[in-house]
Order: sequence, then C-alpha cells, then structure tokens
Amino acid sequence: MTNDIILEAKALTRRFGGLVAVNNVSFPVKKHEIFGLIGPNGAGKTTLFNLITGLIPPSSGQLTFDHQEISQLRPHQIAALGIARTFQNIRLFGELSALENVIIARHLHIHSNIFTGVIGVPPASTEERKSQQKALELLELVGLQQRAEEKAKNFAYGDQRRLEIARALALEPQILLLDEPAAGMNPSEKQKLSEFIRNLRDRFDLTIILIEHHVPLVMGLCDRIAVLDFGQLIALGEPAVVKNNPAVIEAYLGND
Amino acid sequence: MADFIGTYGALIVSMVLGALLGLSLYLPLMAGQLSLASPGFYALGGYIAAILSTTVFTSSDNLFPIPLLLLEMLIAGIVSGLLGVAVGIPALRLRGIYLAIATIAFVEVLRVLSLNLEITGGAVGIFGIPQPFQTPIEYLWIALPLLIISMVLIYRLERIRVGRALTAIREDELAASAMGINPTYYKVLAFTLGAILAGVVGAISAHFLNTWNARQGTFDASIIYLTFVLIGGSRTFLGAVVGGMLFTALPEVLRSIADTGGLPTWLAQFLRDGRLIIFGLLIVLGTIFFPQGLVTPDIFKRRKFNQTKDIIQQTK
Repeated sequence: MTNDIILEAKALTRRFGGLVAVNNVSFPVKKHEIFGLIGPNGAGKTTLFNLITGLIPPSSGQLTFDHQEISQLRPHQIAALGIARTFQNIRLFGELSALENVIIARHLHIHSNIFTGVIGVPPASTEERKSQQKALELLELVGLQQRAEEKAKNFAYGDQRRLEIARALALEPQILLLDEPAAGMNPSEKQKLSEFIRNLRDRFDLTIILIEHHVPLVMGLCDRIAVLDFGQLIALGEPAVVKNNPAVIEAYLGND
Repeated sequence: MADFIGTYGALIVSMVLGALLGLSLYLPLMAGQLSLASPGFYALGGYIAAILSTTVFTSSDNLFPIPLLLLEMLIAGIVSGLLGVAVGIPALRLRGIYLAIATIAFVEVLRVLSLNLEITGGAVGIFGIPQPFQTPIEYLWIALPLLIISMVLIYRLERIRVGRALTAIREDELAASAMGINPTYYKVLAFTLGAILAGVVGAISAHFLNTWNARQGTFDASIIYLTFVLIGGSRTFLGAVVGGMLFTALPEVLRSIADTGGLPTWLAQFLRDGRLIIFGLLIVLGTIFFPQGLVTPDIFKRRKFNQTKDIIQQTK
C-alpha cells in the first residue's frame, strides 16, 4: 500500500516566453509520504505547485493523480479531486473571520443547492451546522478556536499560516501542498511545525508535499526530497542521499 | 395623510423600485463583479411588459388585470435570466474595469436596438401602457412584497454555501478556486440573478411610468444605480436598499430646495438639472471617505462579536 504512487509528474515543462521555468521534470510521489521540494530562489518550485494545482497548464508533459491525467484541469476541479494547498504569500480571505475562512473551504462537502439552502430546511440546515462544527474543530487543531470570529487579516503572520493550513484541511484532501509553511518562523516554531506536519500526515492519512528553504527542517521531516535548480530536477531521493549529492551541494546547500 | 400620499405616493414607489435596482447591482457585486448591465435588463423587462400589454394582452377593462401584470413580470424575469446567462458567460471572463466596459457596451447595444426596431416603437417608444391601479401608491402592492422577498432571499443567500462562495470569489478568486469553488459558475449565477431582478423591476416600471422608451436604459442610469450601491453600502444588501431609496429621493429633495425662494437662479438651476454632476461628485467623495459605503457590515458585526466574546469568556 505504501508503495502506491499517488501523484506523478512526467516530463513536465512550463515555458513563459523564452524562460523555461520548469524543464522536463519527472518524479513520483508515494502515498502517505512527506515529500520535500527544495532549491534556490527562482528554481521553479512554486511554478511546479501551480502546475500541479491547475493554476497554469503545462507547456508539455503529463501530470497524473491516482493514474488519472490532471494536467488540463482547472483549480477547482483539482481541489475536488482531493489536492489542497497553501500559498507562499498567504492568500486568506482577509476581511472574513477565521471561522468563515475555514467554512468556505467546506464548499465541496456541502451539497445543498441554492433552493434548499435559501429556504433553510434540513438537510441543508443540518449540513450548515455540521460545517460550522467541523470548522471549529479544525481551528482547535491549529490552536485558533478562541479567535474564531476575528478577521483573518488581523492575525499575526505565524497564525495566518496556521489558519491557511486549517483551511486547506477543511477540504479533506488526500494530498496537501504546503508552500514554505515555515517562512518567518524562529527555530523552536520550526521544530513545532515539523512535528505538527508529521502529526497531520498520521492523523489524516495525508500525502504531504512541501516547499521549504530551511534545509535542516526538510532533511529532518521528509521521507524523500526533490531538488530543483533553474527548473531542472538535479536530485531525487532520501535526505541522506540528496545531502551528499555533489550537484546539490554546488547548487544549493553550499549557500545555506 | 391623503394629501401626503397624493403628493408623494409616486415618489415612495420610485424609492422602492430604486432600492430593487440597487439590489440588482449588489448581486453581481457580491461576487466582486462590477456589472453596469442592470439598465439593459431593466429596459428589456420594460419593453416586454410594454409590448405585451399594448399589443397582446389588450383588455377592454378599465384597469389592467393584475394576474397579467404578474405574468409579464415572470416573462421579463425569464427572458432577462436567459439573456443574463448568454451575456454573462463570455463577459465574466473579463476582470474589473474590462467587465464594466463590456456591460456598458451591452447596455448601449440594447439601447440602439430599441431605438431602431419597429416593435419597440423606435425613438418615440411605446405610449399608453395600461395601468393596473388607480393611483400610483397602489403599486406598492407589487413593489413592496417584491422588495421584502428579495431582501429575505439575499439575507438567506449570504448565510449559505452559495453566498459564501460569492464572498470568497470577491475576496480572492484564485484562493476561492483552490478551495473547490468554480468561479465562472458563481459569477454567472450572481450576474444572472441581478439580471432577473432588473428585468422584473423593468416590467413593473413600464406600467408605473405609463410610457417606455430608449431613455430608460442608458449609461446614465448605470452610474445612478452604481451610486446607490457605492454610497449606500457595497458590503451589505441593506446598503443597496438604503442607497437606492436615498438617491431616488435626492433629486426630488434637490428640486424642492431649488423651489424654495431666495436662491440665486444658477444654484436653483444646478440643483434641479445638475443631478448627474452631483451623483458623480458623490461617487468620488464616497469612495474616498466611505470606501465601503454608509451602511457597513461592521455595524452589525460589532454586536455579534461582543456576544461571541462573552460566550467564549463564560465557557472558560
């Protein structure tokens, strides 16, 4: 079971005019693994995330999820398949409360339509109540339930990151993509985050792919790591192997 | 009392219709879409009612039968809805200012069509549209329930999945789609709901105003409805209602100020005819000093927030 491949990139390429942001990248991601994606700034990591989540289509190559071709799907369809993400620049719904942010992500799991919803009869009203409950549970998981009614834009940076993760979890995804979740955190916070991510994987049966700059965090947390440099995959394997790869040391680790 | 109703009956009905038109613009705005298309659907709905009541539903009764009026409203709503979907799907690919321009163009296309088609009476328009009521104030029997129903529906809409999807799209369309919300579907939905409402209001207005012509659906009207929502309040439906009523009454208020003696003629003239200049000024000032409009959701949230804070304190 744990050897099943849940996501696979095959010769994935994305050009922006003359710039090749992602160049012929291929790798499999196994179910339930914590997969790390590292590389210097501008290596194409977030572009790769955007390709996986359907924000942009690839110029060539394939992307499969559970052996289903997904490279031409749009973001909401990718989310419906079970791939959730957080953003490098944090894209919360700032004017809305923390609770509302998480409830919105329950969209796919609520089935009432505009007619039954507006009238407000069960099952619509029960679904609404359940979503509220589920959202509060997720807020509790990230320690933000006391501030459920506060506007998301008023939260501190670190809390906003946690809120974004809670929101992504509300989708009940199979794969969680975290884009630099540890940015702006101090060493002890990074340690806590590392444990938190591992707990998430165990508790929710997730596969987690994360982009991170802090190399020790990635080495300690991830089961396997892919290294990008100038859009190309220069190493793929377990942390111990990747750490000693000369190409990786030259491109990235030497500059930590 | 009778005197008051006599003088101001028509104005009160106009204010209710104005509130409804504000809501028709508020609906696409819930999804963050600045659509100036309402006057187009308003004009369309009016023409449908005008044409039907003067050529198809001609009755020898003294008063136009109300069931037929309701039927016209239904037809106007359906046609506006279909046209709304047809126009919405391509137009809503555009963002922000480009969508606004596309909707302005839509209104203009309809206006020019109505000026040139025989069935719409050309430049002259349609006259002698039959009345279902003896006095103007009786139109409230139709307009007021429509307003109340619309307000209740929108109130409910904001609290359910669909409403939340619209709000999410308004806040951050990219993030909303990453949460599984199909932006195109919901943007077209909001746009079409606004179109249906504007069309139905048009049908009522055609009877109310007795004549209907191309001047009912112009870019000027777009700006006026926009003022309703921008100044009244763009983040809550009550803002659109308050704005609609306030700014429908405003020209009348200005006119009565102008009519009180003692003002220099140029000022009186300006107050009477400079309505659009005044609206334009209000838009500019409003967006600077009241970016969310006069009626904002924070007014209501503050009470709810304090209540929730108390509950959380008590459970500690």
